[in-house]
Amino acid sequence: MTYRDELAPMVRIEVVVNGDDVALVRDLLQASGVGGFTMVSGVAGLGHAGYHQGSLLFNEHASQALLLAVTPADRADALIAGVRTLLSERPGVMFVSDCYVGRPEYFA
Amino acid sequence: MTTVVAEQHDLDARRARVRAEAVLASRVVPVARPLDEFVAVNPLAGFEDQAFGDAVHAAQELYGIRGYLPETSYRALYHQGRIVEADLRWAIRTRPPLEPDGSAPHPDRQTVGAESALVDELLTATIPEPASRSVRTAAEHHDAAMGTDLALEIDQHAIRWCAAYLGAEAEWRLPGREAGLYGAWRDLVVLDPTLDPGARRLLSRLPERSDDAVLDALERLGVDPGQHRCVFRAELSALPGWAAHIRWRAEQHHDIDLLDYLAMRLSYTTVLVDRISDTAAGRAWSATGLGGSASFGMSEAPWLDDPGRFGSAPTGGGDAGEGTLDARHRLDIWQAALERGFRSQLLDSLGGRRSFEERAVEPDAQIVCCIDVRSEGLRRAIEGQGRYETLGFAGFFGVAITWEPMSGGGAVASCPALVSPRHTVAESATGSVREMQRYRRGLDGESGALDGLHDAKSTPGAAFVLAEAVGWITGPAAALRTVAPRRWSRATRWVHRRAVAEPASGVELDGIPLTDRILTARTALTTMGLGSFAPLVVLCGHTSSTAANPYEAALRCGACGGHTGGPNARVLAAILNDAEVREAIRRGVGAIEIPAGTLFLAAEHDTTSDTVRILDPGSIPPTHRGQVDRLRGDLDAAGEQHAAERCADLPGAPEPRHRRHARRHVARRANDWAETFPEWGLAGNAAFVVGPRSMTSGLDLQRRVFLHSYDAALDQDGLALETILTAPLVVAQWINCQYYFSSTDPDVFGSGTKTVHNAIGTVGVLAGRTGDLQLGLPRQSIAVGDQLVHEPLRLLAVVVAPLERVASIIDRNPSLRDLVAGEWITVVARADPDDEWATWTVQGWADHDEGARR
Repeated sequence: MTYRDELAPMVRIEVVVNGDDVALVRDLLQASGVGGFTMVSGVAGLGHAGYHQGSLLFNEHASQALLLAVTPADRADALIAGVRTLLSERPGVMFVSDCYVGRPEYFA
Repeated sequence: MTTVVAEQHDLDARRARVRAEAVLASRVVPVARPLDEFVAVNPLAGFEDQAFGDAVHAAQELYGIRGYLPETSYRALYHQGRIVEADLRWAIRTRPPLEPDGSAPHPDRQTVGAESALVDELLTATIPEPASRSVRTAAEHHDAAMGTDLALEIDQHAIRWCAAYLGAEAEWRLPGREAGLYGAWRDLVVLDPTLDPGARRLLSRLPERSDDAVLDALERLGVDPGQHRCVFRAELSALPGWAAHIRWRAEQHHDIDLLDYLAMRLSYTTVLVDRISDTAAGRAWSATGLGGSASFGMSEAPWLDDPGRFGSAPTGGGDAGEGTLDARHRLDIWQAALERGFRSQLLDSLGGRRSFEERAVEPDAQIVCCIDVRSEGLRRAIEGQGRYETLGFAGFFGVAITWEPMSGGGAVASCPALVSPRHTVAESATGSVREMQRYRRGLDGESGALDGLHDAKSTPGAAFVLAEAVGWITGPAAALRTVAPRRWSRATRWVHRRAVAEPASGVELDGIPLTDRILTARTALTTMGLGSFAPLVVLCGHTSSTAANPYEAALRCGACGGHTGGPNARVLAAILNDAEVREAIRRGVGAIEIPAGTLFLAAEHDTTSDTVRILDPGSIPPTHRGQVDRLRGDLDAAGEQHAAERCADLPGAPEPRHRRHARRHVARRANDWAETFPEWGLAGNAAFVVGPRSMTSGLDLQRRVFLHSYDAALDQDGLALETILTAPLVVAQWINCQYYFSSTDPDVFGSGTKTVHNAIGTVGVLAGRTGDLQLGLPRQSIAVGDQLVHEPLRLLAVVVAPLERVASIIDRNPSLRDLVAGEWITVVARADPDDEWATWTVQGWADHDEGARR
C-alpha cells in the first residue's frame, strides 16, 4: 500500500502569465468549474523572451503572476484548452501534472 | 455512456476555447472607463508589442483610423518653417527606403542627390485617399454583396440593449438584468416589436448559454475555428466604444461578459441573414457568401496568416507605388521630422554644468507637485516668488489607497490604473462631537433635498408637478447661472456652507500598518530624490472643478485614477510627520534624516481656476504659522501669474489688464456651464524629464513637459529609476497617446465635439441621440475649430542617470522595452553634463545627433 491508495488523484495546473492576463485565466478557471486557486504575483525568472523582472512597485500589469489550480481530471481538459488558446498569442507558460490530495471534496 | 461523457468534455473544451478567443480578440479594443473615473489610455494599447508604424497600420485596417496627421498638414508645417529641411533630411537618413528585397539601402541611394529627390517626393507625391476599415463583420460582408443594411440594423439593436443594460443609473432598470446581458436580452428580445415575427421565432430558439449561442452562430455562418478570433475582432471593432466599455466592465466589475455581447450580435446576424435567405437573392448569396469563402472580407488582413501577430512589413521596399516611398513610409518620415524639431530644441535648452551645481541658497520651503505638465507652469511661477524649491513626483505620492471621505460619499480608488489600492484611509473629523453631529444633520438634509428633487424629476407624474411648483424659479436661476457664473457659484457655495458646516478634519492612518508607512515614506523620498529638507515641505496634489463637464475627471489627476490628488498628499504628509516613521527611516541602510523642525503639509492646486489651497490647516503648529501665511500669499501670487500666462492660450480669453483679472477670468470659465474650453488640460505634452530640477529651472517649457525629480546619486541600486520608468513614464505615455490619437483621428479615437454630447449616466457620452459610445478626448481638448492646439508628438523621455543603469532597466522589463523599441517612447540619457545625449536603440546607445551631419 502506498500513499496514493489513500489519496485522490487530481490534475495540477500551473500557469505563469503577464499581470494583465490574470483576469482571463481567473475567468477560465471559473468558467471551467474550478473552485479555487493560488496566485503568486510579481514572479521573476528567465524565459525564452529573456529575464522577467519580479514585482514592480507601482505597476502590477507589467510583472508576471503564477496561478496554481488543482482540479479533478474531468474539468482539466476544458481549462487546459482555454489556457492553450490564450498562450497561442500571449506570453506565458503552463505546466500540467498529476497530483494527489487528501481532501478531494475541497476540489469538487 | 462513454460517448456522452466524451461529447460533454469536447463541448466544455470548445466553450473554454471560444471564451479565450473572445478575450484575446478584445485586446485590440481600448479600455473605456466610466466618465467619473476617466483616465487617459493609449487606444492602441493592445498593439504595443509592435512597432508604432505597424500598430497604426493594423489599427487602420481594423478601425479605419488615421494614425498620423494628413500629409497636407505636414507639408503645410514644412512651408511654415515648423518642420525644417535639416530635420526632414535627418528623418530620411534614419528611415531610408529599403531595397526591394528588404535589405539595407545601397550606398548609391544614400547620396545627397538621392536625398534631395526624396525631399521632393515628400513634398510633391500624390496623396492617396484615406483608406477605410478593411475588416468586415459577417453582416458588413453581406451588405457589400447584397446591398442590404444588416450591419446598421445589428448595430442599432446592440446599442439599444447595451444602453438599457449598462445604464445602471437609469430609473427603469432592464428586467432580468441579474441574468446578465445575454440572459436578459434572450428573455426579452422575443417581445421586441421592431423585429418581424419570423425573426422573433428564430430568436426564441437560442441556447441558454452565451458561449453555446456563439458556437452555434459561428457554425451556422460557416466560420472555421481558426478564424474565430478574426470574426470576434470584426464584431468588437464595429462599435469600438461600447466594446471598450464592456471590456472594462468585464475585467473590473464582472457584471457583463464579452461573450454575452458577441452572442447577441452574432445571433442577430444569423437570424437576420436567415430571414433574407428566404428570398431568391438571399439564397444565391448564401450559396457563395459566408458558407462559401468565409473570408469576411478579411483575406487581406494580416492576422489571418498568423493569428498571433499583426503585419510587420518593412517600410519602403516592394510597395513603392509611383515613387520610392509609399504613403505609409512618407508619413513615418514626416512625423519623425516634426518630432526632431521639438526634441532638438528641448535637449539643447537643458542645462549643462548648471544642472549639477549645488544650490547656492537654502530654500524657505520645498513644494512637491505632480509630474503633470500643468505643474511645470505653476512651479515656474512659485519659484519666481521667493526662495522656493520645487520637485516633481507622481501625484498619488506613492500612496495607493481607497479613500473614504468624511461626507460619506462613495469610497474611491485613489491611485494609478496600474496598481490596486493597498490600504483604506478614512477622513475623520477633528472637531467636537457636537460639530460632527451638526455636520451629519446638514449632510442628511442636503442629500435628502437633492434626492427628492432628483426623484421628482425622473418620475413621470411628479416631473409635471415639479415643473408647475418650481418652474417659475428655474428660468431666472438658469439665466443668472449663465450670465454670472462666478456669482452663481459663490451663492451656491454660501448656501452649502450655511446648510452643511464642515468641521475640521484629518486622516486616519490606522489602516496602514507601521511597516507599510515606513516603506511608503522611504520609497517616496528616494524616488523624488529628496534628501535634504527645508523647514516646510508642501505636498501639492491637483484637482479640477468645472461646471456641466462630463470630462471633468480627464482634467483631474491621472495618477489618482481621475480623482483629486489632495487625499493622497494629506496621507503622505501625515506619514512623514509621524515621529515613529521618522525614527525608523533615520536608521539602517539608506538612512534619511528629517530634521525635527521640518513640517510636511498637504495642498491642492485647482488647475482650472489656478488656486492653491492649503489642506489640514489645523495641523500647522504655531512654529510654522507665519511661514505658512507667507507661503499662502506667494502661492496666491503664483496662481495669478500662471492664470495670466494661460489666458494667452485660452480661446476667447481677454488680454488681462492685471493678473487678478486673469484669475477672475479663469474662475469664471470654471463655473460657466456653457464653457466648452474650461482649460487645456495636458494638451501639448511631448516629453518626460527625469532628473534634477536645476536642469530645467528658469526654462519656460510651456506646460509641455512632465517633470519627475530624480537624483541618481541617491539611488545607487537603481530601484527608484526602475519605479519611475515602469510606472509614471508608462502613465505619461498613455496620456501622450490619448492626446496623440484624439488629435490624428478625432472621430474614432477622439469623442468629437462636446456641443452634441449626450451623457448616458456615467457610462460615457454619445454624439447625439444614439450611436457608439465616444472614445478619447473631446475636440475642445485638442483644437479650436479646425486648428489643432495639441501638436501630436510621441513622448521623448529624457533621463539623467548612468547609461548602463537605464539600459539594464529597459532590458529587464519587456513591456517597457516594447514601448521603447517600438518608438512609442524615445529614451535619451546622459550621466554627466559634459556628455552628449545618447539615444537608446535596440543595437545599443547611439549619439543623439547621429544622422544629423553628412
